[in-house]
Amino acid sequence: MRRWALLLVLFALLGPACGGGGGSATSTGGCTGKVAGGPVTVKAWFHSGQGSERTTITSQVAAFNSSQNDVKVELVLLPEGNYNDQVKAAAASGGLPDILDFDGPFLYNYAWNRNLVSLDNCISSSLKANLLPSIVKQGTYADHMYGVGTFDSGLGLYSRKSVLTKNSIRVPSGPQDAWTADEFTQALKTLQSAGFAKPLDLKLNYGQGEWYTYAFSPIIQSAGADLINRQDFQSSSGVLNSSAAVQSLTVFQSWLKGGLVNFNVDDTAFLKGQAAVSWAHHAVYADYKKAFGDDLVILPLPNFGKGSKTGMGSWQWGVTSKTKSVDASWAFINYLLKDQQVVAMTTANGAVPATKSASEAEPQYAPGGPEYIFVQQLQSTAVPRPQTPAYPNITLSFAKALNDIINGGDVKSSLDKAVQDIDRDIKDNDGYPVKT
Amino acid sequence: MISSRTTNLKTRVGQDSVAPWLFSLPAILMLLAFLVTPFVLAVIFSFTNLRLLSPIPLRFVGLQNYVRVFQDPIFYRALGNNLLFVVIVVPVQTALALALAVLVNRKVRGVKVFRTIYFAPVVTVMAVAATVWRLLYDPDAGFINGLLGAVSGGAVHPNWLRSTSTAFLAIIIMSIWQGVGFQMVILLAGLQDIPHDHYEAAIVDGASGWQQFRFITIPQLRNQLLFVVTITTILAFRLFDQVYVMTSGGPLDSTQTLMLMLVDVGFGRQRIAQGSAIAVIFFLIVLSISVAQRRLIREEAT
Repeated sequence: MRRWALLLVLFALLGPACGGGGGSATSTGGCTGKVAGGPVTVKAWFHSGQGSERTTITSQVAAFNSSQNDVKVELVLLPEGNYNDQVKAAAASGGLPDILDFDGPFLYNYAWNRNLVSLDNCISSSLKANLLPSIVKQGTYADHMYGVGTFDSGLGLYSRKSVLTKNSIRVPSGPQDAWTADEFTQALKTLQSAGFAKPLDLKLNYGQGEWYTYAFSPIIQSAGADLINRQDFQSSSGVLNSSAAVQSLTVFQSWLKGGLVNFNVDDTAFLKGQAAVSWAHHAVYADYKKAFGDDLVILPLPNFGKGSKTGMGSWQWGVTSKTKSVDASWAFINYLLKDQQVVAMTTANGAVPATKSASEAEPQYAPGGPEYIFVQQLQSTAVPRPQTPAYPNITLSFAKALNDIINGGDVKSSLDKAVQDIDRDIKDNDGYPVKT
Repeated sequence: MISSRTTNLKTRVGQDSVAPWLFSLPAILMLLAFLVTPFVLAVIFSFTNLRLLSPIPLRFVGLQNYVRVFQDPIFYRALGNNLLFVVIVVPVQTALALALAVLVNRKVRGVKVFRTIYFAPVVTVMAVAATVWRLLYDPDAGFINGLLGAVSGGAVHPNWLRSTSTAFLAIIIMSIWQGVGFQMVILLAGLQDIPHDHYEAAIVDGASGWQQFRFITIPQLRNQLLFVVTITTILAFRLFDQVYVMTSGGPLDSTQTLMLMLVDVGFGRQRIAQGSAIAVIFFLIVLSISVAQRRLIREEAT
């Protein structure tokens, strides 16, 4: 009897603590315009991605701390591999820091759960006007801005001009001039017979994860399909498993079945010259450029019927509802958005600067520059990942389906499974209602 | 008057019953806090719609989570894989460990070096070992296919981790390599406990080497073998790390396991409630297997 009583007591003590789970906003007021109450110490989490990003953010924090006396930032670097999981765990247990960087499309879920505070009062109108439209688009949920990136991403096909011209393959001039899917498949076959046993590197070594959704959902979007119906974000049925999606991913699967894809286990397939085309994002630019110099060319992803599409979105900064001071936290983010700091970061990671003024000042992003195509794409053919709190589940379902397709599974039934799962998740969450 | 009586009572009873409780209190509290309570909570959560991050109010949904788990083909795939893993790994790994233990129990020069080598994988972190093995299994540049190619003249060339027919086998091989050293050390300790005069007496009776092994070594090792079989079975059901690193359950769910499914559903997809349902089912399965195992062993003993 007594044992049961003890158990019940424990229960009563622990139950509410564990069951609470969801977010309880403590401060949602936004910015007041000045940091109050002497020096404030705020904690910032950063995903430690590329080594050069780490060194840059570390020196940026040091420079910010010594530049003024009101705010002191304490930087915590966390491994990128399971960064999202760590943020989720911290959000569930109430252990979030003041400032957080997170992979773009997760913003909507955090904002919905009230883990982030709105930055509407913080961002000055001149800064907002200077941000790339893609940054504003992705940082906005339910008409409020919750996050802002200091850089955006670029996704394309890296190749070598000399290899393409030698094999008489047309070199597209920009996003509107992309290879058609057939042309691309043909080019791969040509390259294969020219000695590249497995000419296409899809960076499959990154594994099943956000990469799959980021890099390969533009395929179905280029065919006219999408991850979800964006009218109301309530269902993927007839969209993700539409015939356009099935057809385009069947073409994708044919590259794998035809032995055209290099599995790139050690991440060097393109650098070593085993692969002639690398389907990759901006982060590889520095290494590729070092290896191939001016011979390197970045091309748009193939056009599956409705024009080439590509991914957008990268890491963004947000202020959590657990912050001691929104103003102090924003002061640091605002500092990172100064042109000089934006350029310091994008020089380190090869990404596209988030402000127009910074990208104009950088020759490789200016018209004619090697990475200009990324800027062009962000203004034309780039598609944001669905701006819905359902995104974390959508991306897992799509990545799973895509992984099955990569491994030879039936395209239609893989997508049907994903649709069933996405739709059920949305229903379970009452349609992810927006609360104001 | 009353107070003295109660203290008297306390000391009388206390000497027998309070001290042991006091000594076991830390362990009991920890077990309650980290094992019993979370599990009881999991049972309750499994009947709700609880999510990791959600402002939607908690409500009871009855058996819905269980129904969904039992309707999910991945669940049966995962369960089947776990059982297959147990059925293959437990006997093979135990037999190998016994063979290795007998080998390194020989009084030969440099035997300590071999003991260390066989034990090395055990002290390696599983995630690291799995990462290295992923490279070893690479179809083109990996060591294993290099070796197979050299032996078979290029005829055998499996795409280990990306083929549904070999991926799980690859995980099994790697797991045995990693786990066998631990069992070997346990059995080795048992071997060294067997009094030498048993063997001397057997030799006097004219027993052959095989007979000595069969009628002295094996029966004397009974307890260690039982321990090894039990612990391997439990570890086999917990299969997660190497699969997570090497295949994440793919290709086409051919390496799914219950633990992998639990983490994906409960944490990745934030469905704590459905993850809890999987945990409860998992617990019941492991419990029934443990009980069955105990029954069998007890029967054998009598």
